[in-house]
Amino acid sequence: MRMLPDRACAAAMAAVAVLAFAATYGFDEVPPGLAQGLGAAEFPRLVCLVLLGLAALLFLGAAPRNPPPRVPATGWATMALAVGFLPLMMVVGMLPAMLVFLVAMGWLWGERRWGVLLGSAIGLVAGIWIVFVRLFALSLPGGWLGERLFS
Amino acid sequence: MEAFLAGMATLTDPLILGMILAGTVLGIVVGALPGISGSTTIALLLPLTIGVSPIAALAFMGSIYCAANFGGSITAILVNAPGDPSASATAIEGYRLAERGQAGLALGMAAVASAIGGIFSVVMLIFAAPLLARAAYSFGPPEYFALAVFGLSMCAAIGGDGRVKNLMTAALGVLLATVGIDLTSGVERYSFGIMELSDGINFVPVLIGLFAVSEMLDQSTRRAEEPKLITMDAAKLPTLADFRKCARAIGLGSVIGAFIGALPALGATTAALVGYNETQRWSKHKHEFGHGALEGVAGPESANNAAVGGSMVPTLALGIPGSATTAIILAGLIVQGVRPGPHLFNEQPVLLYAVFASMLAANLLYLVLGLGMAKLFARISLIPPTILWPAVFVLSIIGAYGPNQSMGDVVIMLVAGGVGFLFRRHGFSPAPLIMGLVLGGMLEEALKQSMIIFDQNPLGFAQRPIALLLLAVTLAGLLGPMLLRMLRMMRPQKEAV
Repeated sequence: MRMLPDRACAAAMAAVAVLAFAATYGFDEVPPGLAQGLGAAEFPRLVCLVLLGLAALLFLGAAPRNPPPRVPATGWATMALAVGFLPLMMVVGMLPAMLVFLVAMGWLWGERRWGVLLGSAIGLVAGIWIVFVRLFALSLPGGWLGERLFS
Repeated sequence: MEAFLAGMATLTDPLILGMILAGTVLGIVVGALPGISGSTTIALLLPLTIGVSPIAALAFMGSIYCAANFGGSITAILVNAPGDPSASATAIEGYRLAERGQAGLALGMAAVASAIGGIFSVVMLIFAAPLLARAAYSFGPPEYFALAVFGLSMCAAIGGDGRVKNLMTAALGVLLATVGIDLTSGVERYSFGIMELSDGINFVPVLIGLFAVSEMLDQSTRRAEEPKLITMDAAKLPTLADFRKCARAIGLGSVIGAFIGALPALGATTAALVGYNETQRWSKHKHEFGHGALEGVAGPESANNAAVGGSMVPTLALGIPGSATTAIILAGLIVQGVRPGPHLFNEQPVLLYAVFASMLAANLLYLVLGLGMAKLFARISLIPPTILWPAVFVLSIIGAYGPNQSMGDVVIMLVAGGVGFLFRRHGFSPAPLIMGLVLGGMLEEALKQSMIIFDQNPLGFAQRPIALLLLAVTLAGLLGPMLLRMLRMMRPQKEAV
């Protein structure tokens, strides 16, 4: 028998609360001179107990409802692209990674006009460079390749 | 009266007017860009104000501050990515309206509500600054603790599938706020040896991840659906009937915003979230909330802009900044040789009234600019999703990275995006988590200080009337609906007997 979706959520939240509560025992000891009143661990423990209580309420009051729909292939591919952005950026730098991402995701979502894809991607990246790098002097990560080429 | 008129007369100076116009336009633009907030812009441009008169410098900074809050609502409404944290509450209903093809309606309402809230708070600032400051500073740690608990309890009513889920998310936000070094003992908590977590979790990347990235992921699961055709109705502005419907929300938001803004450390973001909650609580159209309620845009927008004037009260009257932005403005004032404090009202009244006048002018100016450009902004919602959402993701990356130039923040944003996506699928609203994260630090600090004041006896709260009242209202708000439900359940049984 499948667990009710809300009960699964309550169980997940309870697990977070229990793990966070347990982790407070790993905090460094406070020197006795500083240990007055509420210490570093008491407040998080209190919050964990509140969270645990609320998780119990949700578990007990869970009503049957439809589970969320399955994530389609495009959804998983979008998540993979979003996560893949980070390693790509570490290699080629932030601005080139953005360019690749804009084109790849636009294509994945169904845009087949290469002129539109490339034009909008180049325009946006150029805009970001002008506003954030030139105007606000933000230094963006150059990546492994950028450091090799420009340092 | 003479000082008041002299202050207002500074608006006839072309330089001052030019500074106000430049500050307002710049404020709207930077407010709309995720990651570049009004405070960042003022900090970056502070050196430019050294060469001009104190009045011109303050007019410029005040205008950016006023307009950036409104600017933040533009991207919040159009793509669910609040340009400024204070616009996060606006995104809840504003984005639903944009999805329905009514972006112009939401943007127009945001402009008008923002301007009314802003003007209300400046008028309050002019006439009631000393009184408001005194009221705000009768708040000690116990009152702040009670206020934070009250604020968090109100999360129960924000969107999502239920009160328990909302309170749970808020508690999770408070728990996240404990990550990093504990300021009282110096103990590291939940950082697991990761250096980026030692300073705590910045709420800007969490906010962007929970709202914008999760929205993009959610959109990606609906690619197979028939795309919703957004017509040019998107560019239609609100009518007089719409404004009439939202009048109560605007009034309520303005009062709440001005008061919360005046309390140190509680800025426009808290004001907007409380404004949203209270608008929903007192609305005659509660059923519209969560599905694109126009009042849900008007309430938080008037509140976050009213908080701007409110936060200037402690800054000018006591020299204690009410928010991050006013802290930078305070630095700007000191650079100009102006020392804020109670004496300022006696020694430099013309300067003070000139600041108030420039803030009034900035509010009127962005009302005109906002309404005039709402149609133009609304057309952004007509951009095809294949171009719009990848662009939102890229801007989110910049928004998360920008404030601290930290890759750790980008990772936090991506994780928050994943969590936000799961929240959406299981009926959890992300807004309470933000509120918990914003108020968590203050909650812990105020509780620790209160316990020291009460010699570790929690019954000490009973000796503080304001704190006691706030805690009683919180309890009533949380338990009231439960008791009412129980009473309703018992009634048919009695009738049956």
